Amino acid sequence: MSLFSVKNLSVRFDTPDGVVEAVKGISFDINPGECLGIVGESGSGKSQTFMAAMGLLPPAGHASGSAKLNGQEILNLPVNKLNQIRGDDVGMIFQDPLTALTPHLKIGQQMREVLQVHEGLKGSAARARCLEWLDRVRIPEAGRRLDQYPHELSGGMRQRVMIAMSMLCSPKLLIADEPTTALDVTVQADILDLMVHLQKDEGTAIALITHDMGVVARMCDRVQVMRMGQFVEAGETRALFRNPQHEYTRALLEAMPRIDAGDAPRALEKAEEPLLKVDDVKVHFPIHVSGGLFGRKVPLKAVDGVSFDIRKGETLGVVGESGCGKSTLARAVLQLIEPSAGGVSWLGHPIVGLKRSELNKYRKDLQIVFQDPLASLDPRMTISASIAEPLKTYRPDLTDRERKQMVAAMMERVGLQANMINRYPHELSGGQNQRVGIARAMINKPRLIICDEAVSALDVSIQAQIVELLKELQQEFGLSMIFISHDLSVVRAVSNRIMVLYLGRIVEMGDGEVICSEPIHPYTKSLISAVPIPDPDVERTRQRLKLPGELPSPLDPKAALRFLPSRLVNGHSDYVPKLQEVAPDHFVAEHDTLDSIMANG
Amino acid sequence: MLAYVIRRVLTAIPTILLLIVACFFLMHYAPGGPFTSERTLPPQVLANIEARYGLDQPLWKQLWDYLYNIVVHFDFGPSFKFKDRDVNDIIAQGFPISLTYGSLSFLVATVVGIGLGIAAAIRHNSWIDYFAVGLGIAAQALPNFIMGPILILTFTLWLGWLPGGGWNGGQWPYLIMPVIALATSYMGSIARITRSSMLEVLNSNFIRTARAKGLPTRTVIWRHAMKPTLLPVVSYLGPVFVYVLTGSVFVDIYFSTGGLGQAYVGSALSRDYAVLLGVTILYGVLTVLVNLLTDLAYAWFDPKIRY
Repeated sequence: MSLFSVKNLSVRFDTPDGVVEAVKGISFDINPGECLGIVGESGSGKSQTFMAAMGLLPPAGHASGSAKLNGQEILNLPVNKLNQIRGDDVGMIFQDPLTALTPHLKIGQQMREVLQVHEGLKGSAARARCLEWLDRVRIPEAGRRLDQYPHELSGGMRQRVMIAMSMLCSPKLLIADEPTTALDVTVQADILDLMVHLQKDEGTAIALITHDMGVVARMCDRVQVMRMGQFVEAGETRALFRNPQHEYTRALLEAMPRIDAGDAPRALEKAEEPLLKVDDVKVHFPIHVSGGLFGRKVPLKAVDGVSFDIRKGETLGVVGESGCGKSTLARAVLQLIEPSAGGVSWLGHPIVGLKRSELNKYRKDLQIVFQDPLASLDPRMTISASIAEPLKTYRPDLTDRERKQMVAAMMERVGLQANMINRYPHELSGGQNQRVGIARAMINKPRLIICDEAVSALDVSIQAQIVELLKELQQEFGLSMIFISHDLSVVRAVSNRIMVLYLGRIVEMGDGEVICSEPIHPYTKSLISAVPIPDPDVERTRQRLKLPGELPSPLDPKAALRFLPSRLVNGHSDYVPKLQEVAPDHFVAEHDTLDSIMANG
Repeated sequence: MLAYVIRRVLTAIPTILLLIVACFFLMHYAPGGPFTSERTLPPQVLANIEARYGLDQPLWKQLWDYLYNIVVHFDFGPSFKFKDRDVNDIIAQGFPISLTYGSLSFLVATVVGIGLGIAAAIRHNSWIDYFAVGLGIAAQALPNFIMGPILILTFTLWLGWLPGGGWNGGQWPYLIMPVIALATSYMGSIARITRSSMLEVLNSNFIRTARAKGLPTRTVIWRHAMKPTLLPVVSYLGPVFVYVLTGSVFVDIYFSTGGLGQAYVGSALSRDYAVLLGVTILYGVLTVLVNLLTDLAYAWFDPKIRY
């Protein structure tokens, strides 16, 4: 008998514009101990299906149909009945571990209340159970964590706490709603490993809601592909990846970039005169720490001595985990933040420390596209006004009519329909807004564009379209790009060369394909090996390189020498690992052997 | 924490000094003086009086003497208008009255306002919500100088239940109307802020987590939603507390309570420099103190805030 059985479930939302049907009569079963993947893009209704079943829809949402847990109908049960099931028979973990825990309650308090409500367990017995589970989700120093607040823990750590909390009463079903989407790749890999263990050891069935085919390939026994409130395809994972039947499934799989595809663009030849030259740039922020009557300031070295150059027409990918200084580096290159030290020169002209008016001459050639397409456009300007604005600055000679023509031409080029000129950003989708962002950056035909996580907030299919658009524009206008992303697969697909950053320093830089297929630095290796590959056979057999410890704080001076413990032992804690050219155009930071790094953890 | 408090108190000193200096000069540059009246005094008499109060000295000397007396003797000087009374007396008499009905108004506004706001948010889009929102808007539209006459008309002249004014040592029949008149509009604002804050909190991810854990609704509300809901309310309450003490001039006038508000406005009109400055400093110190307490309260509401 199936553990969880949904029949003909529909979810409707009352909105001011009428009733919206988010889920349109879907049916599925989850068997005890299995992992079912529910895959779809944003708005497909995959989360709402489970929210409806668990009675967690917002007040405007209404569910109909049937959802049975162990044969008992649970859909639309009154709250007091549902409360006996939630947290006890069914555990839930959510996407954003940063906001999913109550900020003003200690970890221990939040965990103990589950035991109190469901099992009447209190005091030392409850504490012991909490400690046991924190240990099982591999949280170091579990006893201390119980008395910490959520904000004192890293994102990965908080997601472990969420998992431990939802597993406290040994639920039969764990609903995981995008559990790793907001996390760095290596942390994601750890959390997924943990969930696999729980599934095996505890016999917990998992409903894994995700948009990431790579995660599905690693985790799921069966998959349901969802689109616009309906299932388009269902099946056993291996068969579905091998032989997708529905065109939407095929499109999803094709849109998903693979790190092992082996067709990355190669590095371009070194030119005499690089377009942009960045020389030992540092950005240090003073951070206020308590101590003494007035506190004191310590420098946070967000970017700590980065040098590289950009060749004409090339794309340089910049990867690294959160807090490694990717975005700060981009802003420092564009002089949006003044670097604390170091030089940036554009076609041989130094641009650091220039006056605003002089700098503006260069800004025409140096543009940036930001991560959040909606937030980076002025909400009170029509999209055509946003696109036209740079023209007013740099081409004051144009008449209104010429300007309009140029805007219309650019909109057409980036795939925006002509009738959208008077729309506002909130009336457009994320993908369309990002096209506006690109059009705005491109309108003056710049020679360098920095894409700072430009496709990270978009669905995979939209992401693929935007990446394709960027590549076409690059061909057409011969521009260079710095492509910043935490997603190595996307970076690999567009970059001639890739630079790997770790706590504000380069650890490895070289030809994109070489970095992805034959990385040398242990950090690069661990990053690459953590990227999920949308292929169940490959994904489940390959070995992951797990480095000891979590991503350390940039304020910790020892963290910079994580890969050079021998120097640390000798007391050279301010030693800067040198970049060595191991092959032409392939630079790797000095590091110890893998064995000694592993031993050190 | 202690270092933070010390730091805040130290920065308060120049703030209050600046307040005194600015007020002092503003007042002296305003036309007229404490002894100008329709009946002009003979020049010799005027000069004598001015000499007695030190008004013949250069301004900087007056300021210096004023500050010196405050710092060394805690003496805010004699009143220019009421002979034989000094500023310390006037404050000692009026402030306890203002403080009494002000604090009571503050308490009523806070308790009723927060209660209404929470009830409205929990029963969002129900009749309780509509009732609370309606009441809140109506209350907000009734400042104390409107509420005063309405209350007197209703409860004194029409129903004859309550005395129309006076203080009588703060007996409760004399307190009711001043407190209600002063509290109403703040109560309305507090209810509105609490309601929208709680609605936002109830929509947040950690509330969804709490529900998914199977916690009873009252635990979700009281344990998980309460503190974050009150955070924006607390930042509004700080200034409100100072307002109910300073903004009480109409209450003093309508209900003849004899609080400090009336003395304050009266001193400004009659250019009673000493009383005006004295009361201004009192309110200045109070504002600084309340702001400090508000900031310290944040740390209790949100553990992310560390001083």
